[in-house]
Amino acid sequence: MTAFIQHVVDALSVGSTYALLALGLTLVFSVMNLINFAYGMMLVWSGYIAMGVINAGVPFVLTVPIVIIFATALSVAIGWVAFRPFIGAPPITLLITSFGVLLVIQYIAIVIYGEGPRILQLPALFSKDAHIGAIRVPVLELITIGTGIVVVALFYALLQRTSFGAQLRAAAESPNVARLMGVKPDRVLMIAFAISGAIAGVVGLLWFAKVGALTPRSDLNPTIEAFIAVVLGGLGSIRGALLGGLALGALETLMDVALPNSALGYEQAIVFAVVIALLILRPSGLAGTTREAT
Amino acid sequence: MFLPVLRRDAAPGAPGFIGAVVGPLLVVAFVTGIAALVYQDATMTEIVLLFGINAIMVVGFQIFAGSTGLVSFGHIAFMAIGAYATAIVSMDPFDKSIVLKDLPKFLFNLHLSVIPSLLIGGGVAAVFALMTGVALMRLSGAAASIATLGLLVITTNVLSQASKFTHGPQSLFGVPQDANFGWVFGTLGVAVLVSGLFKWSRAGLQARANRDDLIAGESVGIASLRARLVPFVLSAFLTGVAGGLYAMLLTAFSPASFAIPLVVVVLTMAIVGGVNSITGAVVGAALVTVLNEAMRRVENGTHVLGVHLSAPTGISAAVLGVALILTLRWRPEGLMSAFELQFDRRKPAAGEPAADATTTAQPETFSKGDSHASQRV
Repeated sequence: MTAFIQHVVDALSVGSTYALLALGLTLVFSVMNLINFAYGMMLVWSGYIAMGVINAGVPFVLTVPIVIIFATALSVAIGWVAFRPFIGAPPITLLITSFGVLLVIQYIAIVIYGEGPRILQLPALFSKDAHIGAIRVPVLELITIGTGIVVVALFYALLQRTSFGAQLRAAAESPNVARLMGVKPDRVLMIAFAISGAIAGVVGLLWFAKVGALTPRSDLNPTIEAFIAVVLGGLGSIRGALLGGLALGALETLMDVALPNSALGYEQAIVFAVVIALLILRPSGLAGTTREAT
Repeated sequence: MFLPVLRRDAAPGAPGFIGAVVGPLLVVAFVTGIAALVYQDATMTEIVLLFGINAIMVVGFQIFAGSTGLVSFGHIAFMAIGAYATAIVSMDPFDKSIVLKDLPKFLFNLHLSVIPSLLIGGGVAAVFALMTGVALMRLSGAAASIATLGLLVITTNVLSQASKFTHGPQSLFGVPQDANFGWVFGTLGVAVLVSGLFKWSRAGLQARANRDDLIAGESVGIASLRARLVPFVLSAFLTGVAGGLYAMLLTAFSPASFAIPLVVVVLTMAIVGGVNSITGAVVGAALVTVLNEAMRRVENGTHVLGVHLSAPTGISAAVLGVALILTLRWRPEGLMSAFELQFDRRKPAAGEPAADATTTAQPETFSKGDSHASQRV
């Protein structure tokens, strides 16, 4: 029983990281159909900034907001310079543009930080275990789950209760009507990039707190996990991104537990086989929203 | 009097068809000529061969991307499969006893020469494309891109686990070093010929008709799955052959050799040259190679017009990124757009005003490549 609960906590923790990742990615997708290959690099940059700020002796309480502000600014800057000129371009053009963006911001990271791994030194609290009865849970997992809940709550408040949110939803649902109603497409896009960046800042901290070290090429893993989660939930759907992230967390934990050792090496292949099957059989994703992948 | 012109569509009739197929071959002959000059420089041999292989790869990729309008990451997977299949059938059994001693008996004893090895490499990739394409080619747009990315991840994952056939994640070495100038550029010529024949064939026209307007295409009886599957399998065959040559050039490689960086190079070459043009594929491969080589020199520190230039390692990737963004921004259809070099008796039809503009742009492109090449020699 205790083992089972531990697995559930594991799955929830991994799942909430993925859910946040997918949330940031799908938000921009919903407004401009952009599959952003540069998204993982946002996490890496957040990790590097966190490293820099912590090494400069700033207390951790201040590190978090600094990283979030930085990631938001970076995301908006990238959106403004690289993606805004492509509003209305076909999805494939956008996808390839994001590849270009990835190469450039990755190179800047390589120049500044070098190819070698750097350690992210976090307060000792993060590496401790919490004991709840007979169950031993890493504190980081609890923080991750808690952060996930808070971010999602804030996100929904922003989306449902503010004018920014209303513009964003309008533009995602029907870009032309939104435009006719006076919603400026580039403004909406910048809002989407800002929120997506802030989320990337949070996830970057959580992700590299867990992994421990980062290199300029650590971006591929989070990018791919985010893609998978987004597809599982249905491209462009907010609720789908959350569900997809949790489902992916559950699937990976389940495979870790249930697969025989000989099959463990094939985990990635199995996950992607599920993704492809889902894309073909149920293109609207697990959440079953009506928005089709275009 | 047949004159070279740039046009989008082939002239009617058999002469038009032949003129359209021969045109890109002339481009290949031109590029091969320059490559042969550069090849004389001993330090450049590997780069020239790598260019040739990349060009085959891009021509193969172009068959699919140009005919269907989809972006596929799966072609790097076909390249990997071609490389491994070629390696397995061409390696000396003595070398296999070191890295692949658990191969099944009949594969272990195989020791084929270059042509059958490459054909098998391409064939295995084509069969794999046929099997996966039946499902994948039902998808469009973003979903197709993610699914083919999935195909790449699955392929490299399985290749690095199937140690019996691939030596696992470690590198597979001992492949005969057979990729010489003749094989590489001969194959490039054949690839362009096949590509041209397909482009102007019934199947090629059907695929492009469906790409431009799916509903109209289907309503005149073009089955959309088949229209995509044919170019998918054909391009997988060519990329498989390119993979085989790649194996014979590197002689040692691992599943990690077929990852995102290679995707980026092929994609950039195809986009910069123009995804809808065979001529563009060759031109794009040439331009990006020159760009890469120039950047490699900048990394090592070089003097241009008396100014010392140097940059930290990795600049070539960043330059590729900038090239991608600038191309998409200012010339989204790539340098050649959908134009092909063709031979025609007539002047271009009045309905093709852009032809003149590109006619002047094209020699400029080549002279750029030329001047870089002559600097090297």
